[in-house]
Amino acid sequence: MAPKFYHDDPVWADIDPLPQDDGGLHPLAAINYTDEYSEAMGYLRAVMANNEFSKRILELTEHVISLNPAHYTVWLYRAKTLFEINAPLRDEIEWLNPTALKHLKNYQIWHHRQTVIEALGSPDGEADFIDSMLEHDSKNYHVWSYRQWLVKRFDLFEGKGELEWTEQMVEQDLRNNSAWNHRWFLVIGGRDGRALDEETFKREMDFAKRLVRKAPQNQSSWNYLRGLARHANSTSALKDFALEFADLSRPDEIHSSHALDLLADILATEEDQKEEARQALDLLATRYDPIRAYYWNYRKGLLEQPGAVA
Amino acid sequence: MPAEMRLFVDKHVRYIQSLDTREDELEYWLTEHLRLSGLYWGLTALHLLRHPHALPRQEILEFVISCLHENGGFGAAPGHDAHMLYTVSAVQILATLDAFDELEERLPGVRQKIGHYMANLQDPQTGTFLGDEWGEHDTRFLYGALNALSLMGFLHLVNVDKAVDYIQSCANFDGGYGTGPGAESHSGQVFTCVGALTIAGRLDLVNQEKLGAWLSERQLKNGGLNGRPEKKEDVCYSWWVMSSLAMLKKLHWIDGEKLTAFILKCQDPELGGLADRPGDMVDVFHTVFGIAGLSLLQYPGLAEVDPV
Ligand SMILES: [Zn+2]
Repeated sequence: MAPKFYHDDPVWADIDPLPQDDGGLHPLAAINYTDEYSEAMGYLRAVMANNEFSKRILELTEHVISLNPAHYTVWLYRAKTLFEINAPLRDEIEWLNPTALKHLKNYQIWHHRQTVIEALGSPDGEADFIDSMLEHDSKNYHVWSYRQWLVKRFDLFEGKGELEWTEQMVEQDLRNNSAWNHRWFLVIGGRDGRALDEETFKREMDFAKRLVRKAPQNQSSWNYLRGLARHANSTSALKDFALEFADLSRPDEIHSSHALDLLADILATEEDQKEEARQALDLLATRYDPIRAYYWNYRKGLLEQPGAVA
Repeated sequence: MPAEMRLFVDKHVRYIQSLDTREDELEYWLTEHLRLSGLYWGLTALHLLRHPHALPRQEILEFVISCLHENGGFGAAPGHDAHMLYTVSAVQILATLDAFDELEERLPGVRQKIGHYMANLQDPQTGTFLGDEWGEHDTRFLYGALNALSLMGFLHLVNVDKAVDYIQSCANFDGGYGTGPGAESHSGQVFTCVGALTIAGRLDLVNQEKLGAWLSERQLKNGGLNGRPEKKEDVCYSWWVMSSLAMLKKLHWIDGEKLTAFILKCQDPELGGLADRPGDMVDVFHTVFGIAGLSLLQYPGLAEVDPV
């Protein structure tokens, strides 16, 4: 794109650009810009000093953002301008969509989007937009945080396809921890401590077990499964499930270090099973997760303590 | 010491010094939005490398002051709006340079002002801290505020109990913490929450076994640490994960030798600096967190780092 300048543009003839005040002359502070950025910022400083809110501010801020999207002051001034001049907010969202795709890790864009959607009072179209973002980076933290905000703000917990969508995301990539976390948020975390009913609990356990079986060495699905079980105080009921992947009588055929870990936890709470628990932890320390040997050995040490429960 | 276990101290010092003379490079002004934090990272790295005077003290001080606003907050660079993150960086720099008295002498009353700027960003409803008057929040700001306020002796200006309650609400089912209630566990966020609880003297609220296990699970076969389950390793997590483990007194739960080897592989042996992983471009952010990680691993010759 050709650089854009303002000094010979009649639309901006009334503005005297404000040069950068770098607080005096010291080498660490003297920041050299490209001429284009430097000039655009000069005009921005000038209009901000005048508290000008108008249509051309949207053009100017768009320009500065295209040069440096991480400059948060510009975003704030743009949002203020939108509301001051009653700009059509749907247009803003239209403009934001490709801009967000260009800057996947930018923080300010999300904050800005949230401000605009809040003012619009509707999540219409946001699901599609999020899908397109996740196609580029399926674990983008900003996108998932934003999705949670939408769910809470517009009460999308039930009957709005959110659960089905999450299932689809998890199936697409069983190791997408962000998708698992979102599932937790929908089922338990986002509901302000409301108890989990029997039916939902069973459905979620089956869901997690099915996906663990698909990829037994996956931290995310095990975390979810164990979180659920702990939430319902029924960890010990998972013993048979753990044994499916980690049968101590066949130490050469362990299919999941996570199953061994769970098994060790359960065995440690049972009478007369300390030796088996130790065996499971030994297998972890020496064969199936040796990089964490120090941790597994620490767990073994806990078995010595009377009444120790992991 | 075998060649692959060497830390190129002089190269890293020169790399950090060179950051200030690169003003005509595109990358330099693109990072303007975090200049003050960049300066803090560079300065900290130099202290850890035992070259604390490699950047000119007076110029740093002038620059920090040039970022100060009337309201007591600091912007990322002169002319940028004040923000919690940069105010925290400014306070950390001032503490590193032991310059609070000097600042107060030049601008009487400024310490109180800075303290109140941060204290006023606490949300009285939830106890967390906002980044700026526009209301974005993140546990990073909460940690930053408690850290900076305690450095200045101003913790009494805020409601610490309420902040602690908020951190509790960010605890997740897997033992970790996220940016806010319900947000996915992330090593960086774990650091901010554990750090804040350490400052508040409330580590007793943490499920330390579970969190320690989650943190140690961040180590991958190649020795590096990741930020979230099933993600790639990255040098900066050496710091977030290990300082958290250090605060929980469980540093020995990971394999320090393998991690040391991984961090050292991320060095640029010619021009200095560290990258996120071997072979990538270096930057000051990964340089300081890699070196701080090595310091926690007690790599010989480095100054000791405080995990908080
Ligand atoms: Zn990184």
